[in-house]
Amino acid sequence: MKPSRRDRALTPLHRWVWRDVDRRARKLIRFAETEAEGGRHLAHAAELTADPLLRRLFLRHALDEERHAALFRSRGQKLRRRREPDSKTGALDADWLAPGERGLASDGGLDRLQVGEMSEAALLAFLHLSEKAAAERFALYGEVLEGDPETEAVFGDVLRDEVFHMTYTRTQLGRVAPTRNRRALWRARAGRLWRAYLRLAGALAGLFGGLFLTVQYFLLLPWFAMAAKRAARREPDGWHACPAGDAGALESQY
Amino acid sequence: MRILGISAHYHDSAAALVIDGVPVAAVEEERLSRRKNDAAFPLAAISWCLESAGIEPGDLDAVVFYEKPMLKFARILTTVLRAFPRSRRAFVHAMRNALGEKVWVKGIIAGELGVARNKILFTQHHQAHAAAAFFPMPTERAAILTTDGVGEWATLTVGRGTRTPGGPSRLELLREVRFPHSLGLFYSAFTAYLGFPVNEGEYKVMGLASYGRPRFVEEVRRTIVRTPDGAFRLALPYFDFQESARRSFGPRFVELFGPPRDPNDAIDLATAEGARYADIAASAQAVLEEVLVDLARGLRAETGLPDLCLGGGVALNGCANARLLRESGFERVFVPSAPGDAGCALGAALYADRIHFGQPDRQIPDHPFWGPEVDPAELARIAAEDGFPLATLPSDGALCEEVAAALAAGEVVGWMDGALELGPRALGHRSILAAPDDPRTRDRLNLRIKRREEFRPFAPAVPAEIADRYFELPPGGARLGRFMSGVFPVRPEWRWRLGAVTHVDGTARVQAVDRTMAPLFHRLLHAYGRRSGIPVLLNTSFNLAGEPIVNRAVEGYSTFWRCDMDRLVVGRVMVKRPRQAAQKPEEAIA
Repeated sequence: MKPSRRDRALTPLHRWVWRDVDRRARKLIRFAETEAEGGRHLAHAAELTADPLLRRLFLRHALDEERHAALFRSRGQKLRRRREPDSKTGALDADWLAPGERGLASDGGLDRLQVGEMSEAALLAFLHLSEKAAAERFALYGEVLEGDPETEAVFGDVLRDEVFHMTYTRTQLGRVAPTRNRRALWRARAGRLWRAYLRLAGALAGLFGGLFLTVQYFLLLPWFAMAAKRAARREPDGWHACPAGDAGALESQY
Repeated sequence: MRILGISAHYHDSAAALVIDGVPVAAVEEERLSRRKNDAAFPLAAISWCLESAGIEPGDLDAVVFYEKPMLKFARILTTVLRAFPRSRRAFVHAMRNALGEKVWVKGIIAGELGVARNKILFTQHHQAHAAAAFFPMPTERAAILTTDGVGEWATLTVGRGTRTPGGPSRLELLREVRFPHSLGLFYSAFTAYLGFPVNEGEYKVMGLASYGRPRFVEEVRRTIVRTPDGAFRLALPYFDFQESARRSFGPRFVELFGPPRDPNDAIDLATAEGARYADIAASAQAVLEEVLVDLARGLRAETGLPDLCLGGGVALNGCANARLLRESGFERVFVPSAPGDAGCALGAALYADRIHFGQPDRQIPDHPFWGPEVDPAELARIAAEDGFPLATLPSDGALCEEVAAALAAGEVVGWMDGALELGPRALGHRSILAAPDDPRTRDRLNLRIKRREEFRPFAPAVPAEIADRYFELPPGGARLGRFMSGVFPVRPEWRWRLGAVTHVDGTARVQAVDRTMAPLFHRLLHAYGRRSGIPVLLNTSFNLAGEPIVNRAVEGYSTFWRCDMDRLVVGRVMVKRPRQAAQKPEEAIA
């Protein structure tokens, strides 16, 4: 497996990102979370499919992801024990370079696998592209980690499984959708682009929304804040009487 | 009347359906969506509840949400205002969070279910907790204590409930402690400090506490101060939750207790740092217990009632519950199977039925099995497709003998029977079972099956009628053990025979299994007892780390497939793991 041309072009950036031990540890631990969540999604996919072979393959895939999670976590924790005590690289992990093979729910779910809402062909196409992207990326990580053979070995180990996952998802896509598999792949590619757009748009909207709310916070809230603080000072500690209920109380949202 | 209760949007979404005063269905959304602690609006749970009763949303007389969203929003805004100008981030977070979905509950319910808006009702959060804690319990008059992180404003309430069979009910909340002063948030701050996820890792703090000495009690007492009227307040400079959506403890907390544990670092109890974490957990636990016991003693004196019903997430703390039973003066302590927010769906529906609509009291079956039934035929089909050795036992007796023999031989068994439990405990319908004697079983379960921290204990299940033989149960202890809600000492003479379920401090979170509540599980315990001489089994929830408890047979099968379990039993259908792993898919086909 070889890195993609786009990733290859970004090699110096990836090399810089992975150079710091503390950042490397954090990224590995984040990968562990992503792999573990991916494993849960695949187990769910296995529970939903009516196809026995797909079920077995998804379960095997889920087990692989759990093993990867353990590998990444263990290596990340080892690196953490080696890190500089006052390392301060926390601000920039460059996670946007690799938003997650299949994404974490905590990322807002943009990359999250919605297994219950996808056809088997769509799921296999999605998995195939995700695994391919991950395999290419992991191949590059292996190359930029020359000074850390243990982490390199972890990526090598995981990469072997990713290649298998990439292969089986493509083969099975051909089996379950013999006439529509190319269309499913193109739709999955379009879906990845759409999600990339949503990520960008979401980030921009978040930025502008945050700015708008911050302006409101400093312009509108101070007067109310003064009143709230005054009221808080008058509020006694300890027990308070419960608000009296009445017959219509349940109709109110207040 | 047909009343649907809903809890949603914070953690543990759930739905419950009450028809003519009796629950007919209740389930957490996570059990259907397969996302642990799923907080989404519980559409799947609602659909299942309605389908299982054979009714449409239009047939409902009322839909009751478990809290008042606008009052909660007002509390969040007020909190932000009080912390101005340090609450900018919290304000942005709160606005996005609340305005996105949480304040539009009425519209969401009306839109998703198509019910008339005048049928949508809202209880207060702690009214729902109190109703869930009181109405399903076999007591007609009881004091009530609810405590959790926070609802609208209340974080802890005390009150009393009365009901007359076939007659009216009354539920009166007398007093409350208000946000930000909260026992739940106090404990959650320690949960976060010790590197565990808030709203999920509190029971890990309790497990860790047993390894420590409470040598930080004086420091912990500085963070929570008793008020002259017998309540308490948090020393707010130590906490950050009122200013930040992300942190619950502040720099002064760190000054007091030292550096917090990084969630990514493993806890090594053999090191000084690991021991410090355990000591801090023990100290927080001790202070929580002393405050609760004192509050409960006051309530006992005030009401003169012998029974106490506990609700709210803090009621999941089995050590505190057992101490309440021993020291508060109450003769019986009742904790429902789902005292947390999931149970509020049921509580909200019952509150509306008994109090708002004034419907006569009805006796509620005293069990937690309100969820979907498991289908053994599903396991039979899947296992046959995958070529697993499969057996269908001819009778319950034969099943119990076969499983007991396997357990006695050291096998770990996944056990699924009947309807799913409501609440976080597996009580014999979705359980992983093992022999209770060998501590290596505990290690195997923690590392190779549940894949969780090695300090986490496992619970024993024992027939209720002989529980006292093996465990030091105070009067009323078996009742607390009915839903695995109390931690009690294992009798010293049995500890060596119960090594896998005896925690480091000699205690265990006992499930006292009543024959009428879980007859097959009760029978299995006795069958195991006849073989091993001790009718106790290790009983842990049927799930892997990070996953919710399984619901359907295929989910049990998926879990069985992915971990080192020896046998899976669904109803009378049994699957064994072959000696040589036969489940590897043919990579050539792939």
